[in-house]
Amino acid sequence: MSLPLSIANLTVTVSNRTLLRLTDLQVEAGALIGVRGPSGAGKSTLLNALAGLIGAQGAIRWGGTDLMSLSPEGRTAFRAAHMGMVFQDFLLFDELSPLANASLSALFAKPDQRAAIATRAAGQLTRLAVPEDSRAVASFSGGERQRVAVARALATDPAIILADEPTASLDRPAADRLITDLLSMTRDSGKTLITVSHDTQLLDQMDRVVTIEDGLLTHDTGVSL
Amino acid sequence: MTDLWDSLPVVAQDWLIAVALVLPILLVGATLLRGFRPLPLVGALLWRFRWANLMFVLLIAISTGMGIGLIAQERGLRIGTAQAADKFDLVVTAPGSELTMMLAAVYLQPSAVPLLDGATYDRIARTDRVEIAAPIAFGDSYAGAPVVGTIAGFVTYLSDDQIDGRLFARSGEAVIGAAIDLSLGDRFVPAHGMGQGAEADAHDGFDIEVVGRMARTGSPWDRAILIPIETVWEVHGLANGHRVEDGDRIGPPFAPDLFPGTPAIIVRATELWANYALRSEFTEAGQTMAFFPGTVLANLYRVMGDVRQVMSIMSLVTQGLVAASVLLGLFILSRLFQRQLAMLRALGAPRRFIMAVVWGYGAALLTAGTVLGLCFGLITAAVLSRIVTLRTDILVSASLSWSEINLALGFLSATSLLSLVPAVVVLARPVVENLQK
Repeated sequence: MSLPLSIANLTVTVSNRTLLRLTDLQVEAGALIGVRGPSGAGKSTLLNALAGLIGAQGAIRWGGTDLMSLSPEGRTAFRAAHMGMVFQDFLLFDELSPLANASLSALFAKPDQRAAIATRAAGQLTRLAVPEDSRAVASFSGGERQRVAVARALATDPAIILADEPTASLDRPAADRLITDLLSMTRDSGKTLITVSHDTQLLDQMDRVVTIEDGLLTHDTGVSL
Repeated sequence: MTDLWDSLPVVAQDWLIAVALVLPILLVGATLLRGFRPLPLVGALLWRFRWANLMFVLLIAISTGMGIGLIAQERGLRIGTAQAADKFDLVVTAPGSELTMMLAAVYLQPSAVPLLDGATYDRIARTDRVEIAAPIAFGDSYAGAPVVGTIAGFVTYLSDDQIDGRLFARSGEAVIGAAIDLSLGDRFVPAHGMGQGAEADAHDGFDIEVVGRMARTGSPWDRAILIPIETVWEVHGLANGHRVEDGDRIGPPFAPDLFPGTPAIIVRATELWANYALRSEFTEAGQTMAFFPGTVLANLYRVMGDVRQVMSIMSLVTQGLVAASVLLGLFILSRLFQRQLAMLRALGAPRRFIMAVVWGYGAALLTAGTVLGLCFGLITAAVLSRIVTLRTDILVSASLSWSEINLALGFLSATSLLSLVPAVVVLARPVVENLQK
């Protein structure tokens, strides 16, 4: 399952300062979108707005759901049901095993969904070749840890994957492997992937790359601006 | 409502108070945890900050344990001293401080007190309704143990006739307390005086033979050596209370004019109610003073009760300070893992789940500290009881009662509710801000 994205007249303002202004952005369901731009341009702000983590004016429609019309808890529930997130520095619980980290969502999921999440998490870890043991992930390499984070993002079988600089904390070989894994797994399952990155190796493999500068969309490889 | 409460058995009231104290924790726990499984994350947080957590648990345990231990000890001491004085219905002495006289006559604490003469003793012993009038003469010792002169009837009464061997039957024989390190048949020479000033050779030539050992009484008399009062007088070169024609007879009646004196007379009435009349009868201005050790103890307990209240307040203040430091610690620790909590929010964890994790973490620390504190309190009370018993031979056995348990539960309940505050503060911060930290 995947969801298309439609953004209209989106403005993110913090302390009377406009961080992001997008008049129109349409993303097809299942597309792989890269977001690039200089530091502080508003890339992460866009990602956070797409996740419903910050308040904004305008419309962010994922499928038929306008995220901005939902209450904060409604957005939280939407994220739980439809989104997986990957962060630059993994944000794992170092004390837990790979499987416990990958199936974190099961801890607050409905009882009838827990087993499915745990099973999917285990499957993703196997597919990502993460060592299957009960060791705490603290002892894992950066590449392994980020693969655990990817498995965590996919464990709920979300329609959307949002990734913020997923390769920034990895060395080149580990980053290349992660790119291969992340793209193949999202592409195979038809999920919509939106990733913020400076990594050209990653951006080059996206279906489409948008550039954000000074809070404005200045370039989009998918359309003529 | 008050009548209904008063009509309940004490145990039921204690249980209801305990349930009422635990109820807020159960309600908060049930509300927050319902449908969630935060334990793996609580475990992870406990493990991540294990040394800091251990310090918190110990801090809570020590503060809770000290408060509980001291209160339990105070109660144990009160019960122990009351039981030790149980056999002493009425004490007659020369006028003075009732407390000093009681400490000397009942708890065998060395003290120089004036003597009662033979006429006084004779009058008391011949009074109707007096079953036992036991003169008590102290001042000598053996190996640190007080040597007390008295009559055989008192030894029988004091020991409930539980004597290994036999009662002393003539001057120069002794019945020892259960804690005395002598055996039947052993002989000893008493020292004059007690403690470091005792003169070991002052009574040379007066061998005393141990003929009996009392069963344990749980009182300072377990470490006393009881001899005929005649022997006490004889070793001091005094008349022995009997005429020559009485031969070797010991015990009452005594000849008043040959009665050298006694610091105290323990009186037991034939009926309990008679004690009040006897107390009036034996209290003569400037001559004698009669008092109930129980009443003196009750006055003492009243003072101790004030001390207990002060201790309780100090305990509460200490626990309040500990609760404040625990809360502060929870604030600090929750800031340390706020990125992970923000990540959970980003993954779609509801606010209630985040609160369940933070509250569960705080509640785990508080519960562990309180349970450990109860154990620590029990150990503290047991150790203090042992020390007091060893030093005084007053059998003090302190145990936890409902009041201590409810004090601990009250602390746990209040602090558990307060530990919701750090959870609320964590949730009040924007997720994005926490993710970027």
